[in-house]
Formats: sequence, structure tokens, C-alpha cells
Amino acid sequence: MFSVVTHEELSPKVHKMTVKAPSVAEKSKPGQFVILIVDEKGERVPFTISGWDVEAGTVDFVYIEVGKTTQQLATLKPGDDLAHFVGPLGKPTVVDHFGHVVAVASGYGIAALVPVLKALKEKENRVTTILQAPDRERVFGQAELEAVSDRMILAIGSNGEDMASSTTRPLRKLLANHHRDPIQRVIVMGSICLMRVISEMTRPYSIKTMVHLTPLMVDGTGMCGACRLSVKGGGTRFACVHGPEFDGHEVDGWDVLMARRCTYADESIQQQGFQCRGCSQW
Amino acid sequence: MSEDKHSGAPQEETGAKKSKINLNRLEMPKQEPEARKRNFSEVATGYTHEMAMEEASRCIQCKKRNCQQGCPVNIDIPDFIKFLQQGDIEGASRVLKTKTSLPGICGRVCPQELQCENSCTLNRKGAPVAIGRLERFIADWERMEGAVTTPQIAPSTGKRVAVVGTGPSGLTVASDLAIRGHEVTMFEALHVAGGVLMYGIPEFRLPKEIVQREVQYVKTLGVDIRLDTVIGINYSLDELLNSRYEAVYLATGAGLPMFLRVPGENLNMVYSANEFLTRTNLMKAYLYPEYDTPLKMGKRVAVIGGGNVAMDSARCAVRLGARKVYVIYRRTRQEMPARLEEVENAEEEGIEFNFLCSPTGFISDGRNNVAAMELIRMQLGEPDASGRRRPEVIKGSEYTMDVDTVVVSLGTSPNPLISSTTPDLETSRKGTVVIDEKGKTSKARVWAGGDIVSGGATVISAMGEGRRAASAMHEFLSQ
Repeated sequence: MFSVVTHEELSPKVHKMTVKAPSVAEKSKPGQFVILIVDEKGERVPFTISGWDVEAGTVDFVYIEVGKTTQQLATLKPGDDLAHFVGPLGKPTVVDHFGHVVAVASGYGIAALVPVLKALKEKENRVTTILQAPDRERVFGQAELEAVSDRMILAIGSNGEDMASSTTRPLRKLLANHHRDPIQRVIVMGSICLMRVISEMTRPYSIKTMVHLTPLMVDGTGMCGACRLSVKGGGTRFACVHGPEFDGHEVDGWDVLMARRCTYADESIQQQGFQCRGCSQW
Repeated sequence: MSEDKHSGAPQEETGAKKSKINLNRLEMPKQEPEARKRNFSEVATGYTHEMAMEEASRCIQCKKRNCQQGCPVNIDIPDFIKFLQQGDIEGASRVLKTKTSLPGICGRVCPQELQCENSCTLNRKGAPVAIGRLERFIADWERMEGAVTTPQIAPSTGKRVAVVGTGPSGLTVASDLAIRGHEVTMFEALHVAGGVLMYGIPEFRLPKEIVQREVQYVKTLGVDIRLDTVIGINYSLDELLNSRYEAVYLATGAGLPMFLRVPGENLNMVYSANEFLTRTNLMKAYLYPEYDTPLKMGKRVAVIGGGNVAMDSARCAVRLGARKVYVIYRRTRQEMPARLEEVENAEEEGIEFNFLCSPTGFISDGRNNVAAMELIRMQLGEPDASGRRRPEVIKGSEYTMDVDTVVVSLGTSPNPLISSTTPDLETSRKGTVVIDEKGKTSKARVWAGGDIVSGGATVISAMGEGRRAASAMHEFLSQ
């Protein structure tokens, strides 16, 4: 059993959970994920790690209440147990000295990017971060992201504006300035829709753009292939073992990827009153 | 006393009795196809006590013991049958347990027709003793009676062994070494022990309760099982060797599913057999929503492949409510790697076999779900390396078939998690771990067996490799 150490609501329906899992904490690196099962009849659900403490033996992740499992998670209190917790899975985010890195964070990615940016700062990169939220009420983790960024831009949607345009406006400005203040790398953690839009925006500039893919998974160790995606040149990759970080310009078939992500939306999510808004949820 | 009574050659096996060889091999009762198509309960319901006694009486206790040689784990088959003939089921169980910790599993999923029963003297007359069914009867009797016999465990040697993977091969090594007095820790990446026995083989062929009973039995031998622990991640192989363990057995099984590499293969509702079966069996999607994991499936399901995994997938699809299930295989019925018994079961359940054809692409419904499959007809040419006639494309024979769900069952390639983090572990070009005739890998103190070595074979061959490696490991640990 893996006990919940702390659990807090960061913004409406967004929660941060800290779980006691020493062997996971010990090996965690930025960009990796865990799979948990709430109880013995539960499903295996992946979450990107947003922090860890080797000494305390704890691992943090941020989740958004959407389907049955996340709603069940939201009811847990410190001291309660998760039936299973395994990780760190997947390859860590590639961290090196790139120069000027633009990070785009949305939803769970706001928290999950913190350890990535911290590692990038340690490698002496200059980090410009765009934090995207649909409205002011749903901004969270601003201070944590700011602490690991050289510059912080808030991209907050206004009424009637879709998520993509609120996020892309500041990026468009940065790209327009690319010839004077070149960007060496873009890293995006957010919805598949957002990652796709940004990959397309940076393509003409040939700026290496890394996306953090979170397709559906079952085992998370390479066994089932539920998380597979097509890459340029006709190859198939598994997000769980070959990713979750991929070059956004190498991803082929974003439509299929988005459709695969939503295969079970009507089973586990739509019955909870969720309506697909083309990934604009977050 | 009782040992005297039961050992040695049968006293009354006279010529007169031998001349009355009974060739009436008893069938095992099965659920009728129409009924079983609608449930996940076991298809074959097992011998009754009377049936087991009658079938056991057919064994002529011949001196050759060919059946035992035909068994990959060398079970003393004539001896356990002799106990049955004398009505001593507990005695029969004791004999079984000296060579297998998993009789309930082996009795159900071993291809006996190629092994013990193939070697049975009565097979020359076409009616071998139903050894597998008797083995199953004994295991089930023991489970029902709760009279679990455990072998004598040797005094502790103080040596510690790590077994990576809790499938049939790992369980065999763990129990063999525990019985010899070594301290065994097993590591399992998933949340349940049992490996392919849990995620792969369906409930209706191998009830999960039986797997868990036999896992529990291995634990009673003193084996510690650590779930949710991925070797190659939480601990590297070197960390295991440099910390607590004198020796390691790698039995991580088959890994990444193989796909056809044709256009449209990543469309929605195209599954790997591993995903389809894992959702159904391990995660119990057939009990959704009682269990949280769903499995989305349409009405016209095509399963690509001709092995046992393909049969399992097709038969799961029937039970999950598919209106039509096709098995698509590029050779003919004769060349199918699946057990004949499973092919017959599948046919009885209304599954349609399409031979000599191969998918060349999948077509979307416009919303990224599969709507149809493009195929091409094949013919058989000259035999290939496997001895089977090679399928060749018939030019211009393309056609399409409407399907809304596809399950790709073409085998797997080894999971690179351990090999990629262990540079001095020799692997083949296919990624399988290379071993010598005793299961030893290129790396000191490391042995391996099962699908990580073979690339994909049977439960019993994985157990056989485990048995062999366990002997070598014991020898090493005793030095």
C-alpha cells in the first residue's frame, strides 16, 4: 500500500497529491510518470511526476478531476492508501545546455514542468515560460514556475476566446522576435491539442519543439501498445517506453493521436457529464 | 509404510489384464457452445471423481515411462496415476508437487497432445491416457479439499536469489530454489503476480482464482513477492547483484507487441492482442463497470494471426458480445500454431476462419476509427526456415472487408527495459537474452528463461527452462 501524505486543491478541480513511495522517489527524473491504481477494482492511470523528495521518500503529482478515477482520487485524505503505485516510468525529459528555452505549460503541465525547468536552469539555460489557463480562477503554480524561469508570461483566456489563441499570442510575439532573440528549444506540456498547435507554429522556424505525450495507457511498461503513435517515416512508437517526450515535428497523425486519446471518453468521462470540447478542457 | 505400499512395480499387472487395454479415452465435460459464448466461466468443467478413476484405470503402468520423458518438467506421471488407481488422490498430489508447483495451471494449458500424451504407449492405438485432465483433477481436488501438501523444505542455505518476473518460468525457479533452502525474492512490474497466466490467458481457459492459489502456494514455500517493482527502473540488474542477491533469474516474458506495419494500423479500435487481453483478463473489463477498466469493441471483429493468443482474443471477443468474429491467417488451418483443441473450441463458438489472406491496410470511418480492412490473398510456396510452407502474395487479389474492431496477434518482441540498462548482458539480434544449455546468460550470476529467451513459447516450456536453470543455479549457490 502507498499512503497519501498530503493532498490539496490548487484551483477548482485541480489537485496536488503527495504519496509515500520511496523506491519511486529514489529514481525519479524530470518528465517521468507513475501509474497508480486506487483500489483493487480500479484502472491503471498514468500521471506525470511533478516533484519528489528522496529523503522523505515521497512523490508528487498534479491531476485534474475529470473521470471516475480522478474523482475517486479527489476524495482521498492524508493517511488513506492507494492500492498500487509504480514508477518512475518512461524516459526522462532530455536536459542539456540549449541556450534560450521557451516552455509552455497548461493544466497538469504547469506542475510537471517545474522539475524539468529546474534541471534546465541547472544547465544554465535561459527559460521563458508561458503559463496558460482558461481564466484567472484556474491559475495555479505560478510562484513555483516563476522560481525556475527567467521570464514568466501569463496567458489567460478571456470569455469566448479559445484556449489555443490565448496561449499562442505570447508565443507568436516571441517567434516574431526570433531573429533578434533566438529560441533554441521549445518544450510544451499540456493538452494534445495545445502541443499540436505549438508544434505547427514553430515548424516554419525549425525550432526543436519537444512535446510531452500522454496517450491512454494500460500497463505503462511497453506490453500493451495502447499508447502507440506514428512518427515520420512510418514508424510506430510507444509513449510509455520510447517517450513520453517526443519531437513535435516528428509526430505523424495528430488527428489519430487525439482520437485515440478520446477512445474511452464516452465510457469513463462522458457519463460524468464531461463534454468533449476539442481538448479545450485543458 | 504407505510408501512401501505405493512404490515399486505394480504386483498384479498380469498378462491377462494387459490384453484388455481400454481404448475408451474419457472426454472432459464442457459447457455447450451456445451457453459458454455468453459467459467467462471455464469451458471445460473437469472430470468428476468417477471419471478420473475410470480414466486413471486405463494406464497400463508400462515400464517405458515415455510419458515422463515427454514432460518438460519430468513429472513422475506413471507414479501419480498409480496413486489415483489406488484411490489415493493426496498421494498422487504429493508425487505431482515434487516436480511442479503449478499443477492446476499445467493440467489446463499444457499442450499435452505434443508432450506426455504424445509419448503415451496407448497413443499408438490413438487413445493416450488423458494425463493433463488427471493432473487437473488432482490439483482441483486438492484445492476443493483444502488439503494442500507442501514438500519438505531444505534447511536454509543463507543464499539469496532474485527472480525477475512472476510468470510460469519465474514461479518454477522460485519454488525449486525455495525448496532447496535458498531465500527467494520475486519482482513483478504489474500489480498482480502471475504474468501471462493473469494478463494473457483468459478466465474461461484458466480461472484466475486457480492462478492465485498456485501463486499463494509458491509463497507458502517461503518466497517473497514484490509487486509494482520494475527491474531496469527501480533497481538495475547490477544493483540487485551488488546488493542482496547472489544470483538472479530473468523471466520477464514476452514484451512489446508486434504490428503489421501497414497504413492505418494506429487507428482507433485497432488493438494489439496484449492490450485486448490485458484489458479483458488482468483488468477484468468483462466485469465493467464493477471493475473500472472498459474495453471498447464493435460488432465485427477481425483477429489477425493463427496462434493461441489469437484464439484467446477471438474467443474473448465472442464473449464480450461481438456479432461476428473472424480469424485472419495467412497460411492454412494445418499450419496454424494454435493448439488444435483451441481451434476446435473457437470453431464451435462460431468464429469464422479466413485462411490464405493477409491485411495490407486499414481504412478509417472518417473519424479515425477503423471501418474496413484491405487484404490480399495468399498461396503457399516452398517451406521456409520454420518448415512451414511460405505464404506468397497472389498479385491482383486485393479485396476489402468491413470490420469495426481489429486485434493484431502477431507475437511480441522482448522488452528492452533490462537489456538496455545492462550493457554486458548478451542479446540476440531479435533482442532475446542469449543463454547456454543450462540457462546461464553471458553475465556472471545471471540466468534466464521463458519468453525473454525464446521470444514466445508455451507455459510449460517456460517452466522447463526454469527447472533446468534452477538446477544450475542451485549447483552454483552450493559451491
